[in-house]
Amino acid sequence: MIVQAAFNLAALQLRILGAMILRETRATFGSSQIGYLWAIITPAASVAVLVTIFSLIGRQPPFGSSLALFFATGILTLEFYVKLSATLMNSFDANRALLTYPLIRETDALFARLVLISFTYLLIMLIFFSALIALGLAGVPHRPEIVLQAFIATAALGFGLGTINAVILSFWEAWHHVDKVINRPLLFISGVFYVPSLLPPEAVAVLEWNPILHLVEWFRVGYYPNYHSPILQADYPAALALVTCTIGLGAERLFRKQRASR
Amino acid sequence: MIELREVSKSYTLKGVTKTIFDGFSYRFPRDRNVAIVGPNGMGKSTLMRLIAGSEMPDAGQIIRSGRTSWPLGFAGGFNGSMTGLENIRFVSRVYGQDTETIIDYVQAFSELGKSLDLPIRTYSNGMKARLAFGLSMAIDFDCYLIDEITAVGDEAFRRKSQAVFEDKLGHSQIIMISHSGATLKSYCDCGLLLAPDGVFFFDDVEDMLRDYHQRFGSNDKA
Repeated sequence: MIVQAAFNLAALQLRILGAMILRETRATFGSSQIGYLWAIITPAASVAVLVTIFSLIGRQPPFGSSLALFFATGILTLEFYVKLSATLMNSFDANRALLTYPLIRETDALFARLVLISFTYLLIMLIFFSALIALGLAGVPHRPEIVLQAFIATAALGFGLGTINAVILSFWEAWHHVDKVINRPLLFISGVFYVPSLLPPEAVAVLEWNPILHLVEWFRVGYYPNYHSPILQADYPAALALVTCTIGLGAERLFRKQRASR
Repeated sequence: MIELREVSKSYTLKGVTKTIFDGFSYRFPRDRNVAIVGPNGMGKSTLMRLIAGSEMPDAGQIIRSGRTSWPLGFAGGFNGSMTGLENIRFVSRVYGQDTETIIDYVQAFSELGKSLDLPIRTYSNGMKARLAFGLSMAIDFDCYLIDEITAVGDEAFRRKSQAVFEDKLGHSQIIMISHSGATLKSYCDCGLLLAPDGVFFFDDVEDMLRDYHQRFGSNDKA
């Protein structure tokens, strides 16, 4: 009896998640197939531009023999995180109309966006790294399971902070701007352009507080066969992801009624 | 069955707290269609949203067995940038229905034709209401919650709605808000009156409407 009820609830949850993902896909990328293509082209293009600029000014890759691979490992991880946390932040406002249907909860929109964006970035990374490998600009990932761990940790941290952002935003609209200010320097402090472990100890002491930097390093340790990262402490972003997910979902539940009556 | 136990609900807006329900308990009769009347602001639509579960009470419990519809009103949970068809697909997926069956039904019922391929934001209120009404009728609910939506469309459409509705009445329950006494009388056989001094149950819709007019001397046509 209880097993049956649990099974029905799980089936309902999956059904709603499926419907929400399709709806989000449609809302985010438009009705044309080209829309989804854009989602893949944009980050790919931004990495390509960076690589071209640095190649033109004759910069050596900070590590390994491929500038493109080095940047890609950094910027794709960063973009994945930024995109996820920003999209989740707007989730409540964008899905207000859905609360008409009692079966749907605001958390369903959060989970749907998590799945959609993770899948999109997984696809982007597969295509981008396959292209680099095909062009002879990169080797295959040395330890794909570590790369995958880094990817999952990035998704979890993006989900946790994105959910917290969404709850804060529902009470304080100006949080939009604050979040922008916080995220702006991430491109420079997350080790996208350099090997953070080679920086002077004073810089390392500050930068090692940035969880995104650890995620980038984690990704590289998995991708390169010989990338040594004394700065990397994988436990830090993983634990932070767990804590932020707990706080985010807890806060969502705690303030659900107050939010609804606003 | 729908039962409210010790339900409290209040809204705070700009520091002003308005209490709609305070420890309200009521068990809806199982096989009867209930009319809900009351002056504006007494909480008719709030009651509807609480019953549906699209809003949570501040305190208390709402117990519901069987499939209850979402509150059928004009607003509707449609996404304006999505087409009518896409919205239908979404709702049928959420309620675990066969998408194509639902689309066929709504197409036939709503008479919206090619408009179903257009984004909802291009729809008039009447068109939106037709879509919402048709969509809810396509899904088999045990209890339909109707918030002022029956007076939609021209005479022919109204007749059609009524026919479908009466068909549903055989196995489904209806809880309805309306300002039209005639509508309430034709669908409901008992009623709840929401007044400033409490909530009153009437075994007969006529009695309730009489009491309502006495209390509020309203101009609403009975």
